Amino acid sequence: MNVLRFMLHNRGQVLELTLEHLWLVGVSTVFAMLIGIPLGILIAHRQRLNKPVLAAANIIQTIPSLALFGFLLPVPWLGDRSERLAILALTLYALLPIIRNTYTGIAGVDSAVLEAGRGMGLTESQLLFQVELPLAVSVILSGVRIAIVVAVGLATIAAAIGAGGLGEFIFRGLAMVDNRVILAGAIPAAILALVADVGVGWLERRLRAG
Amino acid sequence: MRPGAIAGALLLLVLPLSCAPSHSNRVVVGSKNFTESFILGELIAQQIEQHSNLKVERRFYLAGTYICQQAILSGRIDIYPEYTGTALTAVLKESASGDRKDVYQRVKSEYERRFGLTLGPEFGFNDTFAMEIRGEDARRLGLKTLSEAAAYTPHWHAGFGYEFMERPDGYQGLVATYGLHFAERPRIMDLGLLARALKDRQIDFAGGNATDGLIPALDLFVLADDRHYFPPYEAVPVIGVQLVKSHPELLPVLDALANTISDSEMQQMNYAVDGQHRDPQEVVREFLRKKNPSR
Repeated sequence: MNVLRFMLHNRGQVLELTLEHLWLVGVSTVFAMLIGIPLGILIAHRQRLNKPVLAAANIIQTIPSLALFGFLLPVPWLGDRSERLAILALTLYALLPIIRNTYTGIAGVDSAVLEAGRGMGLTESQLLFQVELPLAVSVILSGVRIAIVVAVGLATIAAAIGAGGLGEFIFRGLAMVDNRVILAGAIPAAILALVADVGVGWLERRLRAG
Repeated sequence: MRPGAIAGALLLLVLPLSCAPSHSNRVVVGSKNFTESFILGELIAQQIEQHSNLKVERRFYLAGTYICQQAILSGRIDIYPEYTGTALTAVLKESASGDRKDVYQRVKSEYERRFGLTLGPEFGFNDTFAMEIRGEDARRLGLKTLSEAAAYTPHWHAGFGYEFMERPDGYQGLVATYGLHFAERPRIMDLGLLARALKDRQIDFAGGNATDGLIPALDLFVLADDRHYFPPYEAVPVIGVQLVKSHPELLPVLDALANTISDSEMQQMNYAVDGQHRDPQEVVREFLRKKNPSR
């Protein structure tokens, strides 16, 4: 109850930080999709590339997040706003599940189906958009789902480099040893993760049905 | 699947990309991720807000000295509170020695020369490292200084913040100077948790900060640094190149904060936030009102 009172009393700030958080997660996920899905398709079609690309994405995933945020701080071409840094780092982390699932989805399409498509005279791009992607979409979206849920959690660390987000409450609460403040950051973050998960799940079912 | 619909949805998400005010009419105030630092950050922020029409952005809770230094060098923050002793040893990598004035002058000229950063005037208090034990232990054993405590530490469990373990003016030098040995490898924990862990007997010896508001509140005793191992740690604002260039009018505004906070006043503000769980913004507002009754 104390937590609710605290959140209600600071609702302006809770809302602002939640929106910042949403912004970090949303933009980075979109970037990761724009990069990750084409890359996943590419490595499914050019098997030679799949090992190095997936290995690179794997290595990025193993870098501790605070270290990556810290390393990126002095990079000059990102401008003077820390949000961009955080978005870059979160994009890098979101790549692995998206690339891997796109690759798995496309590579898992039955070759007999592809042959049938070719036999009907479909071009390669028709084959991609009308056969492969529709069959792979639910696998790809479950990758996006994982990426979003992970990003919601990782984005709390963005506060440690001054990029804002709900992590501000969490770090402040840790410093003050005040559970209310920690939870004021953690609860909205958990809700964001749940809502995103359910939302993408809904989209997944819609697309499969359509 | 309808690729058009998806492309549209993506576009909608990307459209509102970054349209923040340009850097020239906003000031970004940073702070480290512990209570005293964000109280000082808030103080700087409110002082600028009261005396100018600039938009102040708060970037508090930065993870330590390294991140703050990188952030101010790359212009991502314009100003943040630092401690002279920390700047000297952790940033400039120089040996810790000298009195308050001496250390301040060295840090000021070296920051100017090496980084082009300006050191503002001291806030007035000295937040040195404080080696704390429980008050009851200090009275029972009649301990006053770190040298005296060295005889007992082999039976004690110690706890320190992670930065203290690594920094040159931290753990290694401390145990070497006083010949301290502990029962086991010290536990590393968040600064905010140390005082409570000490009170709860999870540890018997904690490396905290002298202005920690919980020291009097939890009846902790600070062992005197009788061999003067720690340099002075006066809190000062570090000001970035950008701010000095584009808003020189703010420098006298910050100068007005010089020597306004005594050791005990800082301890009280820390306690208001840490012990009484009051909102830091409110605590700072109250403090400024007290110092500046006309406003």
